[in-house]
Amino acid sequence: MIQLTNVSKSYGDSGAVQALHDLSLTVEQGERVAVMGPSGSGKSTLLNLICGLDEPTSGSIKLEGVELAALDDDRRTRLRREKIGMIFQTFNLLPTLTALENVALPLRLQNLRRRETEERAKAMLERVGLKVRAHHRPDELSGGERQRVAIARALVFRPPILLGDEPTGNLDSATGEEILRLLDDLHREFNTTVLLVTHNDLAAAFCDRVLTLRDGRFVKEVRTGRPVTAPGPSGERQC
Amino acid sequence: MLGALGLITFRQWRAHRLRVALTTLGIALGVAVFFAIRTGNATLLDSLRATVEKVAGKATLQITAGESGFSEKVLDTVRATPGVQLAEPVIETLVQTSYSDEGALLILGVDTAGDQQLRDYQFDRSQTQISDPLVFLAQPNSILLSRAFAERHGLKVGDKLALFASDGKKEFTVQGTFKPVGVGEVFGGNVAVMDVYSAQVVFHRGRKFDRIDLMNAPAVPVEVVQQRLRAELPPGVEVDRPEVRGEALENAVTAMRVGILITSFVALLVGVYIIFNSFTIAVNQRWKEIGILRAVGVEQGNVSRMFLCEALLMGVIGSLVGIAGGFLLASAANRVMRGMVAAVYGVVATAAPARLHLDQCAIAFVLGVAASMIGAWFPARGAACVDPALALHNIEARHSESAHGWKRSGMGVLLIAMGAALVFWTPSRLGLPIQFLFAAVVLLGLTLVLPKLVLWSARALRPIMNWAGGAEGALAVDAMIQTPRRSAATVGALMVGLMFVFSTASYIQSYRQMIDRWMNQVLNADIFVATSAMLRSSSYHFTEDLGRQIAALPGVKRVENVRFTAIPYRGDTAAVIAIEMDGFLERSQKAIEGADSRTVHDLLTRGEGVLVSRNFALRWRVGVGDRLTLESPTGTLERPILGFLDDYRSEKGTIFMDRALYKKYWGDDAVDFIDVDLNPGVDQLAMKQEVEHLTAGSFHAFVYTNAEFKRWISSLVDQFFTLNYMQLVVAVMIAILGIINTLLISVSERRREIGIVRAIGGLRSQIRKLVLLEAVAVAVVGVIVGSVAGIMNTVFMSHTVSIELAGYSVPFYFPWEFVLLSVPVVTVVSLAAGWWPARNAARMQVIEAIGYE
Repeated sequence: MIQLTNVSKSYGDSGAVQALHDLSLTVEQGERVAVMGPSGSGKSTLLNLICGLDEPTSGSIKLEGVELAALDDDRRTRLRREKIGMIFQTFNLLPTLTALENVALPLRLQNLRRRETEERAKAMLERVGLKVRAHHRPDELSGGERQRVAIARALVFRPPILLGDEPTGNLDSATGEEILRLLDDLHREFNTTVLLVTHNDLAAAFCDRVLTLRDGRFVKEVRTGRPVTAPGPSGERQC
Repeated sequence: MLGALGLITFRQWRAHRLRVALTTLGIALGVAVFFAIRTGNATLLDSLRATVEKVAGKATLQITAGESGFSEKVLDTVRATPGVQLAEPVIETLVQTSYSDEGALLILGVDTAGDQQLRDYQFDRSQTQISDPLVFLAQPNSILLSRAFAERHGLKVGDKLALFASDGKKEFTVQGTFKPVGVGEVFGGNVAVMDVYSAQVVFHRGRKFDRIDLMNAPAVPVEVVQQRLRAELPPGVEVDRPEVRGEALENAVTAMRVGILITSFVALLVGVYIIFNSFTIAVNQRWKEIGILRAVGVEQGNVSRMFLCEALLMGVIGSLVGIAGGFLLASAANRVMRGMVAAVYGVVATAAPARLHLDQCAIAFVLGVAASMIGAWFPARGAACVDPALALHNIEARHSESAHGWKRSGMGVLLIAMGAALVFWTPSRLGLPIQFLFAAVVLLGLTLVLPKLVLWSARALRPIMNWAGGAEGALAVDAMIQTPRRSAATVGALMVGLMFVFSTASYIQSYRQMIDRWMNQVLNADIFVATSAMLRSSSYHFTEDLGRQIAALPGVKRVENVRFTAIPYRGDTAAVIAIEMDGFLERSQKAIEGADSRTVHDLLTRGEGVLVSRNFALRWRVGVGDRLTLESPTGTLERPILGFLDDYRSEKGTIFMDRALYKKYWGDDAVDFIDVDLNPGVDQLAMKQEVEHLTAGSFHAFVYTNAEFKRWISSLVDQFFTLNYMQLVVAVMIAILGIINTLLISVSERRREIGIVRAIGGLRSQIRKLVLLEAVAVAVVGVIVGSVAGIMNTVFMSHTVSIELAGYSVPFYFPWEFVLLSVPVVTVVSLAAGWWPARNAARMQVIEAIGYE
């Protein structure tokens, strides 16, 4: 599903800042992976590379077998809008659109028929428990509600991959837990492959596998739940 | 403190170079248009004055009697008047040469004996063997040419030059040339001199002169001589200083000049909105900075002053650049204006390079700076009122700005109502400046209401844009809903530009319809023969003999000779149309309002009454039954006004009288138009060709069928408004700068939003579409409010301005077709304006954009 092979990313002239060092990672269909690490460890860079918002300096990234480097910007964008749902720490909802319009936006960007987009968006909002707030704008919603809308927007087009950048980072612990339960339910329902970058242990516990990133390198991998790639004992190993 | 604030401003300018450049360019363009028109206008007036002064030479007084001239006997009276040292007769006329690529040639007919004492003729000795070429002019058909004209056509002494005289083409013998100084400089060098008595014969002036130029004796003050002459000379003969004649020429073209000057303000007005827009944006962008400044102790006044100083600096730079640019454009403006005064008023001015008038520079500079300060005033005030506590909050806390409250909108509605009421119900004699003040009140009201109008329009537009443009359409309109005040400033700039475009188009349409109706009522001859391709020629005329020749053509039912001239009237001028009333009444009786048709017919044809145009009646406050007193060269003519009719050939008003009456009092049998009626079934085109054949090579005649004549009049109307249109195009261009400015800022402010759309799958092309649709939304709202404002302005122009300038109101007609046509045009222009901001938006780096605060 997601395959990174020897991915490195550096910034600045002559690669002065090395954000990621020779990373390799495989995430299987339906697997839930958390990437943890301190600020500046390269978590967000990794996410940006996987969703095609950024390009690696070297190495290969494949999504469902498609090499991202082989795609131009428009194709990468199309791949993103068809295969990847994204949720952000700051929700990133459009302030002028209602909850329903925000959720429907990815479908509308795919030029689907209005009626269909609306029906699917309504169904998704209902699924995240926000049907009654469909016509409210983001500034009329609580933090938890905004993140639910963001999750609904990320999943409304049934993407095979869900990427989350600190999805509970801006929420209190009770609301964060509530969001994680929702993600868990949705994962069961849609069998989505999930990759989260997070500081939150609780969020990490929601995943099958937890990778620790430090200074651009995976330094630890822990399997917390059902093994996905291969049968074997769950437990901790140093990368 | 201001030094520190200056540093902050300087850094801001560096950070937002493009916004600053576009805003300054907005002011520069506004000032450039204003300055170009003013300088073009001043150059035109200089040229008119210079022609009069150079032709006048050393003359201290000039004696005239309108265009028809006066009897030779006046010269004896003048010469016999104590205090007159020298008096010389003049015939001055513009004639066409046989050179098709050459304009008119100014012919000065002077008395060969004494004129050299009055005027400076520097004869070219190399070109002539004679000691005093003026003496040789006494020989019939002799002419002296300016060196410029002679060289251009390779003419030497003894060569023949063909000119179109009143009774046909005539050949003249070149007797010499004169240098391009003194008289040789007049009329761009297109000048010739001949004997005044020969000119009388050749140009069919009878025993009359056009003018007497005189010098007073040094011991007698010129005012004393002037008074003595006025006492001695018959009524209708005027005695004025040469400069007064120059002023009279200026006065003749007043309506055109005022009309053009009004529109030259439009670009500046649009500039005010651009400044307002730019500074509203700057205050929004620097919200947090203002909060910090206020928090560290900068007073409200200094915050306001910081922005006003910025505006001052932009105003100074923009004005200076505008003056420089305007000076480059002034020659083109002058060329268009010269064409207009020649075509519409028959006043021919010499081509002259634009001259830098310091007073015009000062006016343009002050207005440019003032426009900048006025535009920045409210945003600067708004900046001073920023609540520091709120401003120091995260910028994301400010999702949207409110449209102004109901109080301000209510005030706007009140101002609109008040201004409109004042325009409608106050008497027009208050004068144009006061009436323009009322119109400005309406515009101020509209400006106050605009944020609400923009908000409502955007909300109304959202479902349509959502339906037509998809998610991008909805997001595009959301930008307007989010920032109604900023959008209002852009829409305001577009509104003012379009308001004038629509109302000018509307005025022209209304004017055209009015002219069409009038032409159908009054100009209903089958064939028209004119002396000029312009509305009229003030100096070249036909003789009645041409009319007789045309009347003799088979198929011609009747021919009417028409004299269209100007006479002095109550210190101003009035147009006179002297026509054979029998035929005229037969065709145009229905157009006349007043006494019963039988009385009108009987009295008019016997020369016992006159008709006047409605604008004449309005201008001079006269009615049917009033007695009109006219001073003619042969005495006072007093006749009752028998009726009114519409006539738009002169903004000064027109008097219609029987041709015989005119000839009797003015002793003038010249003909300017020949109206030809054909027998039923005679083909107009075929007859036109016959008349052309008759006049070809001997008369400088323009022959039109009825339809062609009407088309020609319409083209004159178009020509009259050419410069207005050109200025309005610039005004709309400035408004487009506002759109670019707004879109660039919108893209910058919505960076994060655009980043999110890209992150969740929005293609670059979709981002481009979003920004372009925002441009379309601004354009559509601009057209809507522009057309509302345009309706108001059309009413103002057709009612108040028209009455003030021309003495008649123009029936209101709003050009809906034009407005509808403007939607795609403005949309395309807006799309072009949005292209660059859209490109910037599409190229935005998503990761940076999402992280952007």
